[in-house]
Amino acid sequence: MFDFNPQTLKKLRRFREIKRGYYSFVILGVFLVLSLVGELLINNRALIVSYEGELYFPTYAPFHPGTDFGLDYPYETNYRDLKQHFTDQNADAWVLLPPVPYSPFENDGSTGIFRPEPPEVAKQHYLGTDSTSRDILARLFFGTRIALFFSLGFMASVYLIGVAVGCAMGYFGGLFDMLTQRLIEIWSNIPFLYMVIIVFSVIPDTFTVTTRILILLSVMVLFSWTSMTYYMRTETYKEKVRDYVAAAVIIGSSNSRIVFRHILPNVLSTLVTFMPFTIVAAISSITALDFLGFGLPPPTPSLGELLKQGTQTLRTAPWIVMSAFGTLVVLLTLVTFIGEAIRESFDPKKFTVYK
Amino acid sequence: MKRLDNLRCTLLSVSMLLLVACGGESNPLSEVDLTLDDTQNILDFYAANPELITFSTLDDLPDDLVWENGMEQPEIGSPDAVKGGTYYEVLDDFPPTLRTIGPDSNFSSRSWIRDNYDMTWAMPHPNTNEYYPGMAEAWAVSMERKTVYIKINPAARWTDGEAITSDDMLFAFYFYLSDHIQAPFTTNYFASEYSNITKYDDYTFSITVPKAKPDMAAKVLQGGPAPQHFYKEFGEDFPERYQWRYAPHAGAYYIDPDEIDMGVNIVLHRLEDWWAKDNKYFRYRYNPDHINLAVVRDTAKRYEAFRRGDTDIFRIATADMWYDNLPDDDSAVANGYIHKTTFYNGGSKSNWGLWINASRAYLDNQEVRLGIQYAANWELVISNYFRGDMERLNTQNDGYGEFSHPTLTAKPFDINKALEHFANAGFSQRGPDGILVNTEGHRLAFTLSTHYERFSDVFTILKEEAIKAGLELRIEMMDGASGFRKAQEKRHDIYFVSFAASNEMYPRMWSYLHSDNAYDQAFLEDGSVNPDRKVKPQTNNLQSVAIAALDPLIDEYQDSDDKERMIELSHQIMQIHSDYASFSPGFVQPFYWTAYWRWVKWPEEFNYKFTSYPYELFIHWIDEDARQQTRDAQSSGQAFESHIAVYDQFKE
Repeated sequence: MFDFNPQTLKKLRRFREIKRGYYSFVILGVFLVLSLVGELLINNRALIVSYEGELYFPTYAPFHPGTDFGLDYPYETNYRDLKQHFTDQNADAWVLLPPVPYSPFENDGSTGIFRPEPPEVAKQHYLGTDSTSRDILARLFFGTRIALFFSLGFMASVYLIGVAVGCAMGYFGGLFDMLTQRLIEIWSNIPFLYMVIIVFSVIPDTFTVTTRILILLSVMVLFSWTSMTYYMRTETYKEKVRDYVAAAVIIGSSNSRIVFRHILPNVLSTLVTFMPFTIVAAISSITALDFLGFGLPPPTPSLGELLKQGTQTLRTAPWIVMSAFGTLVVLLTLVTFIGEAIRESFDPKKFTVYK
Repeated sequence: MKRLDNLRCTLLSVSMLLLVACGGESNPLSEVDLTLDDTQNILDFYAANPELITFSTLDDLPDDLVWENGMEQPEIGSPDAVKGGTYYEVLDDFPPTLRTIGPDSNFSSRSWIRDNYDMTWAMPHPNTNEYYPGMAEAWAVSMERKTVYIKINPAARWTDGEAITSDDMLFAFYFYLSDHIQAPFTTNYFASEYSNITKYDDYTFSITVPKAKPDMAAKVLQGGPAPQHFYKEFGEDFPERYQWRYAPHAGAYYIDPDEIDMGVNIVLHRLEDWWAKDNKYFRYRYNPDHINLAVVRDTAKRYEAFRRGDTDIFRIATADMWYDNLPDDDSAVANGYIHKTTFYNGGSKSNWGLWINASRAYLDNQEVRLGIQYAANWELVISNYFRGDMERLNTQNDGYGEFSHPTLTAKPFDINKALEHFANAGFSQRGPDGILVNTEGHRLAFTLSTHYERFSDVFTILKEEAIKAGLELRIEMMDGASGFRKAQEKRHDIYFVSFAASNEMYPRMWSYLHSDNAYDQAFLEDGSVNPDRKVKPQTNNLQSVAIAALDPLIDEYQDSDDKERMIELSHQIMQIHSDYASFSPGFVQPFYWTAYWRWVKWPEEFNYKFTSYPYELFIHWIDEDARQQTRDAQSSGQAFESHIAVYDQFKE
């Protein structure tokens, strides 16, 4: 949509020079890409099973009942047991398991009791287990993935609405601006947490977890887009009176062309500097909602749910709260570093320091 | 940073609002007009209802009555008990009102406002289940007249010093039958369970019930009067007018509303000259002078408060708390500062299980319900999550002695049987995710709703195990009010809940299993299923059980006054209900765990058979010297003998 002009390229170069922010960006980017194929890294389904001369790739395939591999049960194969089974039998078959062979949902009570177990490399529970013996690393990983994509979706939606409405207000001005502003003032006074509670109490329970997450996202977006409009409105007001806009009007450009091709690229820096902080806010609030019990339905893995468990088992299983808290700190720090770097590189005064 | 601030502010301000909503109201007593007088309305009510309220004289009292006074029961409590000291307890939420009747009065901490130390005419002895006197001095039960006669103890006093008389019981009828209290359940209970009250003199009255039942005496003896003098200004504005006023009762403790630290703390005081303090059954009970109740909302925090010694007794509900948070080798336990007891109690207990709504699509198929029974892995929950301490529930009505079914057992977790039953219902193919589908492509998925967050781990285990049998359980965790409303409106597929019965003699059948409580008109004249029947909301028949053959049995059971016949009927009803498979029996806790600081002293036997929590009878006492001694020992590192005891004298 936008051509990178030399100025933007210069800003990107400056971003690369700010090492802290740049490496944070790289780390987070790698994690995002990895998390897309997370099922290959952390999963109780095997990557490859070789059985009776055939290769199976169960990860993204329909489930294989135990009977498919010569076991006697009709439900989903336990691939860790299958591996053991093949080893015991010295069969001409093998199983390749992911590095962390646990799903975020299964209760792995190897001691016969479901309770938090401390981290143990031998059992491949690298961060231990939670209060019902579920692998914490698996829950953290998929919980973080949901939180990250949730916040990316949140940011995109908020900006879409916020930018569109804000630009329209600034560009058209007048009565439209005034009415919309009043509407936004009223709208932004509706308490968001109450709305989440109310909306969630009326959602039919037959909806899938994904639908519920999307509904939660919509509710949050619905009550969060307003503050973005203020910045966009003022920026657009400022740009609107510039000569280049007047020139565009004179040569007969349409309103949408002026807004999207001329004004928007020039207010982009404001937008971009806010982005990481929007993400930070989204991650914090989804975690807070989960912590309060109004977020994602159980047993969806989530940082907030783990934090809650952690606070309840502070004495007996400190690894739960440490893992969840550590992840949250790292995640939010990375995003904040990126945000700082962006802000600095987009700052027209080169030698100011962000404090 | 602005956006972040905005979100934070929103969250913060909302939580502040919630906090404010939870308390902090000032005492509005000063604004109440105390000059109103409702007496004329009461007299009018009595005059208008001569069938219900009868005035008579002692001469009309039947001569053939056999009076009992319950004085032959064993004493309650220990003669070693010492009066005095302060007992520190917690409230899990601040009371929204001091009323114990009317809107918002069914709050969780209400037991400390009244129920824990309230008194009725007579109470069942906690070991023998025979009645011992409370406010009554003697009583007589006449089956043929369907009437219970009560002589009030002339010494009985309300906490404000006024005498308790027959007039207070007459007033109770006026009070509880009034719409002004806005308590439909209680009003309905009074209207349907009692048909007459007769006053013979100030200390003698009788109450008649519509049906003679084996437990008829309980309906009357376990009731109580209402203080007429206190409700003098009773009227339409009752809920607001009495919101923060403390109603007198006959018990040992009282609250001074002026002392309440709103939202924070409530202190109970023992009545110095309590009328029953030398009574055989009360003299060793209600020992602490004061009971300090602080609001601590979260279990983890309540536990930390206990560990600091801020509270004296901690009821332990979960295995992880018992074994991991406070293990036997914990320094405070090993050094004898904190004592741990396991007490096996008797009687009927909470029947935790899955209440399957048979009015829902697919769940109306018995084969599906049977499949669910076999797909619920309660064994794993009990062995691995509850660490084998809980027991499997076998029917909805375990623990009622002879009334419980002697041989019925719960269905075990059996994947093959579950698959067999699901296949009989048409669910024979597994979809790509391992969940069964029928020929129309409908997945075998139901919502498991509940409001018991403390058992949330149980549901994730059940869910994971049910997948093995091709059944998907979607877990829906709700808050208490909306969850229970959903169940009462019968909008649930499967609900996890228990109904605790307080040591009743026999199980209630009508409210849970009769078709009257399932549908508006379950069956047509000819006994066939009414195709247009509508689910009936607001009843306890959460399983929507409507079986034509079952109704007459329940009706007979309801009307019978023959104990043997009732036992027989009870077994038949349970058998039919078990075959119907709408209740998946979960677990039952045959004991309760208690942790307490060593300055809390208990009788030698620790507690009584029919108790469900340790301080129910107030038989413990606080040794303030031991408190100081323990505090000193903690700082000097001195150890006492550790005390980890199991009391299984009542183990069944």
